Amino acid sequence: MTSVEIGSELAVSLTLNGATTSVRVDPRRSLADVIREDCGLTGTHLGCEHGVCGACTVLVDGAPARSCLMLAVQADGVEIITIEGLAEGDEFSPVQQGMVDAMSFQCAFCAPGFLMSTVALLAENPNPSTEEIRAELSGNLCRCTGYQSIVDGVERAVEIMQRGAQ
Amino acid sequence: MNGPISNRLGVDAKHVQTSGLGFVGQSVKRVEDRWLLAGKGKFVADRLPDGVAHAAFLRSPFAHATIDRIDVSAARRLPGVIAVYSAADINEHAHPFVPLIMLPGTYTPLFMPLSEDKVRHVGDPVAIVLAESRYIAEDATELIEVDYSDLEPVSTIDQALDPASAQLWERADGNVLHDDINTYGDVDAAFADADHVVRETFECHRQSNQPMEARGIVVEIDPASAHLTVTSTSQAPHAAKWAIAAMTTRDRPGSSLRSLLGNKTRRQNFVGAAKEFVKDNMASIKKQDPAGQKHQLKRDPSMLTAQMKMGLGLLAADDFPTVRADDIGGGFGSKGSVNREDIAVVVAAKLAGRSTQWIEDRVENLLDGGQAREERFAIELALDADGTFRGLRCQFDLDYGAYPGFPVSAAITQGMIKVYMPGPYRFDAYELHSRMVTTNKGKQVPYRGPWANETWARERIIDVAASTLGMDPLELRQKNMWAAADFPAKMISGPSLDVTMSCKGTLDRAIAEIRELDLDALRAAAHSRGNKLGIGLASYHEAAPGPPDFLDAITPGNDMLAAEQARATIEADGRIVMYTSQSPHGQSHATTYAQVVADEFGVALEDVEIVWGDTDVTQFSFLGTGGSRGGPIGGGVMKYSARDVRTMVDELAAEMLESSVEDITVTNGNIHVAGVPARGLSYRDLAAEAISRQSSSGGTATNKSGLAFEITRDYAGHGDGGWSVATHVAIVEVDLETGVVEIPKYLVVEDCGPIINPKIVDGQVRGGVAQGIGAVFYENLVYDNAGNPQATTYMDYLIPTAMEIPEIDIIHLETHSAGENDFRGVGEGGMIGAPAALCNAVSNALGVEVTTQYLPPAKILELAGVISPD
Repeated sequence: MTSVEIGSELAVSLTLNGATTSVRVDPRRSLADVIREDCGLTGTHLGCEHGVCGACTVLVDGAPARSCLMLAVQADGVEIITIEGLAEGDEFSPVQQGMVDAMSFQCAFCAPGFLMSTVALLAENPNPSTEEIRAELSGNLCRCTGYQSIVDGVERAVEIMQRGAQ
Repeated sequence: MNGPISNRLGVDAKHVQTSGLGFVGQSVKRVEDRWLLAGKGKFVADRLPDGVAHAAFLRSPFAHATIDRIDVSAARRLPGVIAVYSAADINEHAHPFVPLIMLPGTYTPLFMPLSEDKVRHVGDPVAIVLAESRYIAEDATELIEVDYSDLEPVSTIDQALDPASAQLWERADGNVLHDDINTYGDVDAAFADADHVVRETFECHRQSNQPMEARGIVVEIDPASAHLTVTSTSQAPHAAKWAIAAMTTRDRPGSSLRSLLGNKTRRQNFVGAAKEFVKDNMASIKKQDPAGQKHQLKRDPSMLTAQMKMGLGLLAADDFPTVRADDIGGGFGSKGSVNREDIAVVVAAKLAGRSTQWIEDRVENLLDGGQAREERFAIELALDADGTFRGLRCQFDLDYGAYPGFPVSAAITQGMIKVYMPGPYRFDAYELHSRMVTTNKGKQVPYRGPWANETWARERIIDVAASTLGMDPLELRQKNMWAAADFPAKMISGPSLDVTMSCKGTLDRAIAEIRELDLDALRAAAHSRGNKLGIGLASYHEAAPGPPDFLDAITPGNDMLAAEQARATIEADGRIVMYTSQSPHGQSHATTYAQVVADEFGVALEDVEIVWGDTDVTQFSFLGTGGSRGGPIGGGVMKYSARDVRTMVDELAAEMLESSVEDITVTNGNIHVAGVPARGLSYRDLAAEAISRQSSSGGTATNKSGLAFEITRDYAGHGDGGWSVATHVAIVEVDLETGVVEIPKYLVVEDCGPIINPKIVDGQVRGGVAQGIGAVFYENLVYDNAGNPQATTYMDYLIPTAMEIPEIDIIHLETHSAGENDFRGVGEGGMIGAPAALCNAVSNALGVEVTTQYLPPAKILELAGVISPD
């Protein structure tokens, strides 16, 4: 186990949305803070900073992770996808488009987490039932919508993906 | 992008939504999603100017204590710390928060940004640290030494009412800050004459608004001019601007006065503005009741000195802050406040000479980001043997917390409860005795339908009356509810009722829907699972915007606060740009206002730009976004100002096309004579012609602004619109083993008049119901007997998830008023109806009266007799 002095910085190689950058970080800094402040990708949001609300969810090697509970130094060498990495240029991804079509969100502060959790869900289970969607997204809190429109958005994303696959 | 926020970002031709039928009434997709779902939103925490300092507050760990000593020296020495300011350091440069709306019988304590001598709740801020990172700032707060001496905490309404309890505010009458009786009609006669009186006491627990984004502020200081630009999560940026300006512009009164008297232009501007204000608002000013102010001054005359100093400071100031509210992550009432922290951060940034960001964390937000609804209603309903309501009498107590909300305090909640309590029902007489008490808890703020508990208490007592008299609760409501044939009429509490108070329509429809269900079969099925099934219903009406006499019924003469201005412009290149004073935080104004304006101009949705949130370019509005005003008032003034500009466009087009104004029509942006679309003009053509005419006429003010057309107008909703109404129906299935309540069916029958965007309205309704479900079954901002908060993370304050919130069915009815602008507010209603319908349903399922709003599994099992209390 490496020991690090307080106040020292460690070099971390971050692969963010396909691009690899090297940053020097205070070892105690969260992945979320480094993504937002050091890398300037502020699309990932912090809602509770104790791992409950899910707004900070990013994909780490394809799996959803709370970036508020993960240290940036733990992300050395892994692939991270954030909300900024979903669209292809100006073209929204099916999950984004599904949420647009269903008018899923209101303030949308929670949206980055829901989008990333949905991408992970549909990668594992491309045609989930409504119950599965609700269960899978129960790790993300939304205070505006009552969730129904978000569930509709996931179902719409499934339609878009199936149409695209045909 | 540093310009004012608008819906311009992310819009391009391929996303243009066109409609031959008009956009109003259609679920056009949200313009906002172009940036919000791309991760390109601009929330307050995203604003990180170069060299920004990060602020953290040291907060009291005690509920009630004196501060004997504070030493910040060790914190100041920590590497990375820029500055540490104690309460004394900050307060020296600030004026107190003073009450704005003073109700009769109310004393509102004055208070400072940070607490210097005494702390009054856990989380009370006593010092602020500015550091190179939030991590270091929080480290430094731990190095601040504070000696506290414990005082006896006051943690319940009953403790606050007990004269023997410790006192939070020395000038108050014990811990009672408001005590007043409002009587309408002959209450004693109504009660004496009635056949029955039904009594019950209902208690509601403390809840919190909990937007997903907590509060925050970024103060930027222009190095050259010292001008402040404040980015805030404010629902009301103009109120924030003037509060910050007034409270942080500290000059000696003498020098302020000299500066004013020595500057002729400023003096004339001041006198002119004052005269104009008085002239414009004479009717309102004459109606104001001085009793509240007299009561306040009797308790604490220092308000006058503070007001005078703030007034002189403002008059002597050469520059006022710019406040910007960009994307905001929800508010539900909690972000309408100007916070103590806001003032402290502004003062600290100025003292340190550093741009500063403070982002509240979730623990802080649960401690003092906004709390509500801890109220008790001892209610009596007098009715005749045939069920006719005669009288209503209520003892209402509200737990205010430690510090008053600002600028909208609990006084407004009391005022609204006073007016709404009789609901959509006829009464001969009504009396409300209200008390507001102060306790060692976080502050009370408006929370989505701030008065909602009156609906909960009233709809519960109606069910209690029905079961006491052996009547059908649905029929009892039908019998007593105002019906279309009764109008015009007046609520017993004052406001006028017209055809838009169509609550009976929603009740009748809800009952018809219920009659379609086979409740016996549903009950039997639940029973076979070992569960119990129940049904509950609740009705309400809300002023959205309400009749012209509505606000006067709450507090006479403050109607002037409700008006709102908008500016409609067409730029030189033909772009339509609209400026709203609203501060949207999830309500989709950029979409719905574009719908309204696009229809007025006959253009595509994306041809309209909506600008908001920047006090430099938007018109003053005291209230901003809140109170379900965005549709009726904000949307109304969009419509009327756009229409005024459209008239100017039509007149110019008629000249250019040599036709009469009446024959000018616009289709998809083509301005032409009806029937001759081929020979049309674009808005760009019209703008160019308007600009060239301005130049040839020798330069007007409009010309200087570079705008082809411009108009500013105001609107208070008077004479338009009216009431928004709904009936909620909940069916619950109670698991008698676990105490968990499922909601197999939830129906809202609502009437908010014509709808701008149905999916957006549905979202508002469902979101409100979800908060109501949270309130009843999950959320409890509980404090222990020593005033220690017990729910300071989301592990304890339970926000319902997608697993807890069921599908919610909505039926829209649409009653039209005679008003030209008939949009009615809908943002608050879901939360108003839900707790009442749910508690009635649980009561019906278990066959016992539910008297508390909080019904977690243990309480359910207790009510069901499965376990015994405690």
